[in-house]
Amino acid sequence: MRRYFGRKLLIYLVTFFLAVTIDWLIPRLMPGDPIQNMLARAALNANAAETMYTYYTHAFRLDLPMWQQYLNFWNALFHGDLGISTYLFPTPVADVIKDAVPYDIFLLLPAILLSWWAGNKFGAYAARTKRLDNTALPIAYLLTATPYMWLGILLAWLFGIILGWFPIAGAYSFQMAPHLSWAFIGSVLHHWFLPFASLFIIFFGGWAIGMRNMIIYELEADYSHYLEALGAPRKLIRKYAFRNAILPQITGLALQLGVIVAGALVTEVVFSYPGIGYLILAAIQNQDYFLVQGCFLFIIMGVLLANFLIDIAYVIVDPRTRRGMVGE
Amino acid sequence: MWSRSKRVISMLVLLLLSVGVLGALAVGQVYERSETLYVGGAAWGPASTWNPFQPGSLANTTGTLGLVYETLFNYDPLTNTMIPWLAESGEWVGDNVYEVTLREGLTWSDGAPLTAEDVVFTMNLANQYEALWFAPMWEYLVNVINIGDLIVQFNFTDEPLYQEFDNNLYNIPIVPKHLWEDRTEEDITIGANENPVGSGAYLYDTHGADRNVWLRNENWWAIDALGLYPAPKRIVDIRFSSNNVALGSVIMGDLDLSNHFLPGVAGLSDNNVVKTYFDGAPYMLSANTAVLFLNTTIAPMDDAAFRKALAYAINTDDIVNVAYAQLVAAASPTGLLPSLSDFADEDVVADLGWTYDPAMAAQILADAGYADVNGDGYVEAPDGSAIALEVTCPSGWTDWMAAIAVISDSCKAAGINVEDVTPDYGAWNTQLQTGTFNMTLNNWAAMSNTPWTLYNLLFRHPIQAQMQSGNFGRYDNQEIFDLVDALAAIPTSDIAGMKAACADIQTVMLEEVPMIPLWYNGLWAQYSDAVWTNWPVDGDNTPSRLPTTWSGYWQLGGLMMLCELEPAE
Amino acid sequence: MPEAKDRKKRNEFLYFALRNNKLKIGASIVLLFLVLALVGTLLTDRAPEAFVGPLSAPPSAEYWFGTTCFGQDVFAQFVVGVRATFIVGALGGGLATLIGMLVGFVAGYRGGMIDESLNVLTNIVLVIPTFALLLIISAYFEVRGLILESVFIGVTAWPWAARAIRSQTLSLRSREFVDLARMSGMKPLRIVFTEIAPNMMSYLVMAFILEFGGAILIAATLDFIGLGPTTGFSLGIMMQYAVLWGALPLGTWWWFVPPGAAIAAIVGALYFMNVGLDEVFNPKLRET
Repeated sequence: MRRYFGRKLLIYLVTFFLAVTIDWLIPRLMPGDPIQNMLARAALNANAAETMYTYYTHAFRLDLPMWQQYLNFWNALFHGDLGISTYLFPTPVADVIKDAVPYDIFLLLPAILLSWWAGNKFGAYAARTKRLDNTALPIAYLLTATPYMWLGILLAWLFGIILGWFPIAGAYSFQMAPHLSWAFIGSVLHHWFLPFASLFIIFFGGWAIGMRNMIIYELEADYSHYLEALGAPRKLIRKYAFRNAILPQITGLALQLGVIVAGALVTEVVFSYPGIGYLILAAIQNQDYFLVQGCFLFIIMGVLLANFLIDIAYVIVDPRTRRGMVGE
Repeated sequence: MWSRSKRVISMLVLLLLSVGVLGALAVGQVYERSETLYVGGAAWGPASTWNPFQPGSLANTTGTLGLVYETLFNYDPLTNTMIPWLAESGEWVGDNVYEVTLREGLTWSDGAPLTAEDVVFTMNLANQYEALWFAPMWEYLVNVINIGDLIVQFNFTDEPLYQEFDNNLYNIPIVPKHLWEDRTEEDITIGANENPVGSGAYLYDTHGADRNVWLRNENWWAIDALGLYPAPKRIVDIRFSSNNVALGSVIMGDLDLSNHFLPGVAGLSDNNVVKTYFDGAPYMLSANTAVLFLNTTIAPMDDAAFRKALAYAINTDDIVNVAYAQLVAAASPTGLLPSLSDFADEDVVADLGWTYDPAMAAQILADAGYADVNGDGYVEAPDGSAIALEVTCPSGWTDWMAAIAVISDSCKAAGINVEDVTPDYGAWNTQLQTGTFNMTLNNWAAMSNTPWTLYNLLFRHPIQAQMQSGNFGRYDNQEIFDLVDALAAIPTSDIAGMKAACADIQTVMLEEVPMIPLWYNGLWAQYSDAVWTNWPVDGDNTPSRLPTTWSGYWQLGGLMMLCELEPAE
Repeated sequence: MPEAKDRKKRNEFLYFALRNNKLKIGASIVLLFLVLALVGTLLTDRAPEAFVGPLSAPPSAEYWFGTTCFGQDVFAQFVVGVRATFIVGALGGGLATLIGMLVGFVAGYRGGMIDESLNVLTNIVLVIPTFALLLIISAYFEVRGLILESVFIGVTAWPWAARAIRSQTLSLRSREFVDLARMSGMKPLRIVFTEIAPNMMSYLVMAFILEFGGAILIAATLDFIGLGPTTGFSLGIMMQYAVLWGALPLGTWWWFVPPGAAIAAIVGALYFMNVGLDEVFNPKLRET
């Protein structure tokens, strides 16, 4: 057991190191100059551009040799300093992430969890009878096949503009500042509902299909037939099948959760909802080295953490993996 | 069983209590609709800095300069007048001495008085720190001193650049000495300046990831001194993720003033869903000139005849009517905005100007030796080499993408092989500044009190490895550089002198055609009458102000617009 | 004799394939769009980017899908878009499946350190946000085309297929016929291709179909946020323009709705086909 985990940890550390190095390299491999872009957006009147260019390049320590920048990066990393954004100058990258990620968590966490639960239930239910399978599943397939932004925009247009039931922009009403009151909470939920619903609908289909496939696979396995032959009630067989089928779904869930910190870019664009996804896109378009680096780092860590937790969870939950460890 | 219902009851009681408490806290933090103005189209990202010296677009808190910090003068482009603001008056008492008399009773929002010391302090900051954008002024400024009685004296060298100085007068924000004098260089030049204290009509209230909220300054000096009182108590400046959502908001009536470029506004205005400055085309005032820069270092664009042919070949009518659906107007070949049209020499334009005329383009090409030798439909250069050019704009700038599609089409129809290409913004910007593009658009020539800012942009010199603020096509012509420098040194009171200098510049410009001014980008503005009325509209009895919240425009009329708004009944 | 057995198996598959409703419905929808993609441009003589008609005209006999706000023919764009969609799906999905097969087979069969290091590779590709790679690519290639986009998707979407193929290979590897082949001294590569792969053929086909559908959806999203091809048309680019030019709020729904509906139909049909194929290949699932 210890060898297994030790080995896994080593692999994760290696992956982390390589991924972080690639993350640091990527913006620097790009042609173009972030300071230039920053100043160009400022559309300065006249001569100051040249002076400010040297000034800022020095302020961002971009005039140091590459290897020194790399070492500085690791050093800063261990101090929790992800640098200063050029797109949102002079806000530190860590602050930008800190301010933006809660919105994504608030949006994505319920959407993922609820769709996972509902989708699995629906998939297991549909796997019961052939008729249900043939009528209910096509809906799930259509939902996963629908391009997300198309659905989101249609929802926003229909329920926002045409029917006027929900607002189409912002995380809370533009008529209030955040404070503790029913009005505010109500406003937050009111603004949250459409983006949440669009995500839920799209995720739901995927889980339902996955669960349905797994259940059918399990129901056709030898042990199910054996139990049936022994005269066990259908309910019992389904219970065991469900437990086995849920395992890969847990993997999928953990992976989805790991990427929450990447934000829901399309949702944020379509519903004008604040979050980290939109900022990442803006940072890419404005060649903001540090913000891009910092966000990606955050995402890498989130995904690696999720992977590691899955591995642990699997060992606990699935006895077969423990047995498999004895082999090579 | 009993314990379970006891649990349920206690939970219900808790719920009722919290309802009561939370309900009580509801007062106060919700804005009255009739007192709040919702605007959008100025900010494109979350606010990150309130430093008034941070150049406009970098500071997404675009109310900082204009609402919080003020300038000595304001400028009204529609009447072309400088309006004394913090200054009561200003005049040249000698060829190189300028005196500004401040008003009495000016105050900062923290109660301290605004005096000549603050003005002297602000000006001297640029002498100390060259990273401030108006530092170049000190190349011809000797000193700025407070000579008492609210008078500040500017002493210049023998050759002040009058045009630039005049332009600076309505762009340099005055900052409080008593709060800034102990700050470090870093704080002053690139610090965020949170909780800004200024002299202006509004205070910083709060901000979020997608909004900036400004609160009216009830102690604003102009309320007594000028009798001005801004109507909205609060301004909420909303950042939308895309123009599409902004359009939806405008249609739903959630936005009072939108300064976004929105497609289809012509139709919306005709159907009275929104109001615009003009009742019909072009619906919008002209804000800046979209200029097609030609890379004069690359053949065949080093040939003036070829450039002239291009000017005749481009179908600006299609750009105006199809790409922009009538929301813009075609530009004068001189590049000057309508607000400065006095300085466009009509004779020169009549003589050397151009319009859309493909036949003329063909003739010019033929005369200059360009002919279609290989029969592919496009002309080759006189030496026989093929011509294949690219016109670019950043990917995602939809209106420009439509415009360069028109440019490409009309050039091809005239026999010139021009392809429209849309690289990403970063790559496009690099090409722009390193001069590796073929033909590209730029619109930094914005509204100004002097034609010099336009020509300084177009004919920026000296030519360097990276051109960051103008003359992207690297047109190298010492004659025109000298003419622009001459214009810079003409006093702004000498209108005749300025006109003559402009005529000279325009003669060379229209003969050589180093760049092609194509259309005037609109001062995008659409408003709703639902909550606020008395918006600026073209006409005799209606306010004529710039209806915009854009950065750097508050002191060009935006603030006055706020003071003239009235609540709808 | 192995050949006869294979032929019998193939005939058996064909028999059930022709009788499976899901497969038939799914395949016919995909076929319909495929035909449209191939010959659609013959149905209209207008170029997709040309300004040909009245601005924002609703669908009519003259303009089947109406016109855009610039007066371009939506149907002409749609037809080109469907073709682009198929190209990206086939190339991108195909490349992803290929790479996934390579990595999955090798990792599953060899095990040990090779397996672990391939796992690390898979993790890294999974973990690096695809935006990062797209950054570099978009910066170096100022003009991006469909091929580049397909290659990009193929190179980043394979981890899923690799993992799935690896676990299947793992389970197949411990079967007796593989042990037999190994004992008889067959080279590992040959074992993989002659013993394991054919038994997974159905699985591989289904994996390809899923990657195909996935590639189409990824491409649509990339196009929509502006990270797709910088020239040309695709269904995602049509939707991007429609949204940028306010199609829905201004009422020109015919510019926005067909592209998305087409993608949903194509990808949905593909998934449906997949379910049918699963039933065909897996006797235990058949209805008869």
